[in-house]
Amino acid sequence: MSEVCNDKEGLVQKIAALEQSIVGLKALAVAFERWHEDMINLTAQTRDMNSNGDDLASIARHLVMVSVNAAIEAARAGDVAKGFVVVAAEVKSQAQHVQTLSNDMRKTLHKSELLTTTTFQDIQAGGKMMMAAISGLERMVKDLRDGMGA
Amino acid sequence: MAWGPDVISDASHENIEHAFHHAIRGNFLVDANDDCRIESDAGDPDPRDIEQKVLVITISSFVFRLLVIFGILEDSPTRDYYLPQASVQTLEDIFAETANMCSGALSRELSLNFPHLAMSTPSPLNSRCIGLLHELKPQRLASYRITIKESVTLRATLCLCCSAPFEVAAVPESLDLTHEHGELEMF
Repeated sequence: MSEVCNDKEGLVQKIAALEQSIVGLKALAVAFERWHEDMINLTAQTRDMNSNGDDLASIARHLVMVSVNAAIEAARAGDVAKGFVVVAAEVKSQAQHVQTLSNDMRKTLHKSELLTTTTFQDIQAGGKMMMAAISGLERMVKDLRDGMGA
Repeated sequence: MAWGPDVISDASHENIEHAFHHAIRGNFLVDANDDCRIESDAGDPDPRDIEQKVLVITISSFVFRLLVIFGILEDSPTRDYYLPQASVQTLEDIFAETANMCSGALSRELSLNFPHLAMSTPSPLNSRCIGLLHELKPQRLASYRITIKESVTLRATLCLCCSAPFEVAAVPESLDLTHEHGELEMF
């Protein structure tokens, strides 16, 4: 009889410990929500940077076009614009450099958008998985308590 | 890119693909009898691809995450097909709702194998990001071109990243899960 009592007492203690663990896991769920909020901000910021990157790419394209036109006009002007030919060539070279940098930056920004968006979604889904697992544990504890008549 | 033999079998690949095609036919058709062709999209990028509105949804489990990506063109055939006359909804809203329901149907089919599966809400994605999916080091990347009634063209991509080997069993034909709708949940 006392063995049965000890078993029951041990089980009650284990259930209480399990309930404490569930409380701890629920606190972790709050941290998940914080990460989720942070990721929303990060994702929005990445999209803003992407939009700026698109504007910059458009300016770089325009700059290359203008520099090519300047080089053509300088060549047409002949000897009187010899100095300007050199300047136009330098402007063209710099414009092309800006365009290359802008293209590289856009690619980096798109990669960043992909990584932040998919990480955000994985965290969001992970939070749901964890909440489902906690609910499962809570049901198990309830069944155990009901089974013991506690 | 082929399925890594040590991560997932060809049969599992086919089962995921089958479930996805089933989910597309069950959700992206206005009328279930509409003609719908789903083809593997092996390459040949369409210049209009960058004009697509793109949405991504992640289905996560403890061993994998599956990105389900949909692309739609906001052209006249697509508007005429999805937007009934005098509709107050925008094409964007209908697209998000349909993509969510389609992913929900796929998630339910996969959850028969993985009970602890969860799905994110849809997020917009720049169409240029699709060309960078290899950066996620997926074990599988598959793209599809969906043609409805020979006029509406959608694009879809499955991007599977796994942290451990797993298998996906076929869903018995007797189980029809396509009519349960995915719900837009708030986290």
